[in-house]
Amino acid sequence: MIYVLYVIVSIICIYTVRHYWFTLNRLFGFQRHPYIDIDTADWPPVTVLVAAHNEEKVIANILSALMTVKYPEDKMLIVPVNDRSTDRTREIIDSFVERFPGRIQPFHRVTGKGGKAAALKDAMEMVGTEVILIFDADYIPGAGLIKQLVAPFFDPEVGGVMGRVVPMNCGTNLLTRLLDLERSGGYQVDQQARMNLRLVPQHGGTVAGVRLSALKEIGGWNDNTLTEDTDLTYRLLLHGWKTVYQNRSECYEEVPETWQVRIKQIMRWAKGHNQAMVAYGLHLLLGKHRASLRERIDGTLLLGVYIMAPVTMLGWILALAVFYQGVAPLHGVVAILSVTAYAAIGNLAAFFEIAAAVRLDGSRKRACLLPFLLLGFTVSIFSVTRAAFAQVKDALIGAEFHWDKTERFRKAAS
Amino acid sequence: MNPYIGVAVLCLMAGTLFMLPLVPALVELRRKSDALPLTVVQQHTGEIRFFADGFRTYLKALGPTLQRCVQSGETAAGAMPDGTEYVVFGRGDQALLLPLKEREEGCEVMIAAGTELLLPAETTFSKDIYAAGGLIGGAKNRYRAILAEHDVHLGNGSSVMRWVHAVGNFSANPGCKLYGRISSDRIIRLSPDCSFLRLNAPRIEVGGTTDVPATPPETESLPASVATNLPRTLHDGDLEIPAGEVFHGNLVVRGRLHIGSGARICGSVKSEKSMVLQPCVSVEGSLISARNMHIGRDCRIHGPVIAEQTIHFESGTCCGTSESPTTVSAPRIEIEPGVVVLGTLWAREQGRVVAGA
Repeated sequence: MIYVLYVIVSIICIYTVRHYWFTLNRLFGFQRHPYIDIDTADWPPVTVLVAAHNEEKVIANILSALMTVKYPEDKMLIVPVNDRSTDRTREIIDSFVERFPGRIQPFHRVTGKGGKAAALKDAMEMVGTEVILIFDADYIPGAGLIKQLVAPFFDPEVGGVMGRVVPMNCGTNLLTRLLDLERSGGYQVDQQARMNLRLVPQHGGTVAGVRLSALKEIGGWNDNTLTEDTDLTYRLLLHGWKTVYQNRSECYEEVPETWQVRIKQIMRWAKGHNQAMVAYGLHLLLGKHRASLRERIDGTLLLGVYIMAPVTMLGWILALAVFYQGVAPLHGVVAILSVTAYAAIGNLAAFFEIAAAVRLDGSRKRACLLPFLLLGFTVSIFSVTRAAFAQVKDALIGAEFHWDKTERFRKAAS
Repeated sequence: MNPYIGVAVLCLMAGTLFMLPLVPALVELRRKSDALPLTVVQQHTGEIRFFADGFRTYLKALGPTLQRCVQSGETAAGAMPDGTEYVVFGRGDQALLLPLKEREEGCEVMIAAGTELLLPAETTFSKDIYAAGGLIGGAKNRYRAILAEHDVHLGNGSSVMRWVHAVGNFSANPGCKLYGRISSDRIIRLSPDCSFLRLNAPRIEVGGTTDVPATPPETESLPASVATNLPRTLHDGDLEIPAGEVFHGNLVVRGRLHIGSGARICGSVKSEKSMVLQPCVSVEGSLISARNMHIGRDCRIHGPVIAEQTIHFESGTCCGTSESPTTVSAPRIEIEPGVVVLGTLWAREQGRVVAGA
């Protein structure tokens, strides 16, 4: 039992070091934005896929925004992927098609497998361009965003591109404010540090792009996963394609406003991520492919982030058990020093990362909310653990996965 | 002490210590003093002419005064609605007669001229300058920003702090330091020993006009945008493409890349380490290096040229075409006289025109 605990503590320490490494890199290291200066070019044709399933509240906003972006009109086709919507989504899309003839080509899907990946997979019949951009319907791209997301594809090594997501409803309640902090940490520090250090920036599946030939090479969209973005990241990596992160390519999104929706969302993410871990983890770390050593290590750690929740909980249980059994895991000065050091520094790693992100974002007062992250952390760790157990149970009884769409909170555009 | 009181005090102290860091959090949660979404640039697209366009709009209020001064040939002074002091010259050479005191201490008024503007030497212009005609500046001047409806010519050793936009040509004499954005709707010409950061024009010529190459014939190559579409070849380790060889497709090299003289790449090229192009290499797509790039004489590159460290251009190279202008970008760029870029030339940290080998 004690040795299992040692292993768990060691893994947690590795993640702690990783948090600090990323944060210090963002604060003091060299920042890579190699493609952001491409402002003049012979821009390639691009297809913008807008994934929409019952999105009557938000679809008009994104289509309006896409009509005003600065990209050659004759080189940009917008394809709203209306996935079996039962609300007014189809009607709203069709009204835009009438208003902007030739610029929008809708894909109305009425039957088929559920889930975003399945819908995108079917919509590929509409795509004839090498560069594909993907947005979820609740996003609002700015005027320069399309060029920024297309620019990295001039690099023939780039298979995927990911922009930064910024919550627009962050002031609604405590949950949205916590999610705003988490997003800051995740993008401003985590993603950009991975870009800086040439590790594995993660494709987010929205505010993102993918190269058609790369997608074909890796076998297209995988509709058997709950997180097609994570799946895409790893398949691209294993085939020698790079995913790049553009921190300055920012786009507003809507974050969940109720805990119930948030829990559903994070459980879906956890299950999808764990699927990718099982599918690619071992091959990534030890297999024969084109990823570098640092990509193998970081990619494996990234795959493990959601499984760390049940592992941490197991560690807590083991620590209590060890304590009540009277086993002394360490002795003397070593014990005191290591426990004190971890209590003083290790516990704060994730908070330090988010605080640094808030600082880099130029915010001040929102950093005061950092202690409340403990609440978000507690909810997440239990939800993710629950998701892991549910996933194991589903695997044992052979249940099919169910894709939950994240509920929207915005008032429908008139 | 009563043990119950002791336990209660202990619980109270522990509770207080736990709640203490939550006090500022609760205050912020209630006050929402920093609860707005982070600012995302929605409309501004990073256009190099952004400030020039803004300045032109700002100057609209000055239109009648400018017209009156041009007609009368007189000078007028006043203040803009935001309090910025201005002087309007009806004749372009009136600026040469700036009082000696202002020339020594720096000209702290915004200058506008209804015609061509001639500026004295060794003066600091700490406010923006507008010329309805062209602008000719004396040597060793320091400018904040310039907008001219015709040509702009800066004298030896001048410097620009923020931006210049010339509707006509822009030229800088030797030793100029162009710290901000320089744009022209026609041609930018830089002399030897100039330094720059961000330039944009249909044609950027480095060095004297006599040694600048003509734009390559455009019918020979495929459009740069098509180059994103080609099959990819991945090569682990270093690679040398022999002189005169023709390579079809996109090429990714995980090591160093050396492209021999006269080779032609019908696609884009990426090297994860340094890249060297020998003379007369032609690349029809983009050229990307994760480190340094050395581009030899008389090369032709059609797509974007990006290096994550340094690019050195030897003379005679041309990037982009008039039909498909492009971007050359790196933290540090060194250019020998005789190079032409059609589009954007952007050095994040420092760009320099250096003497040829």
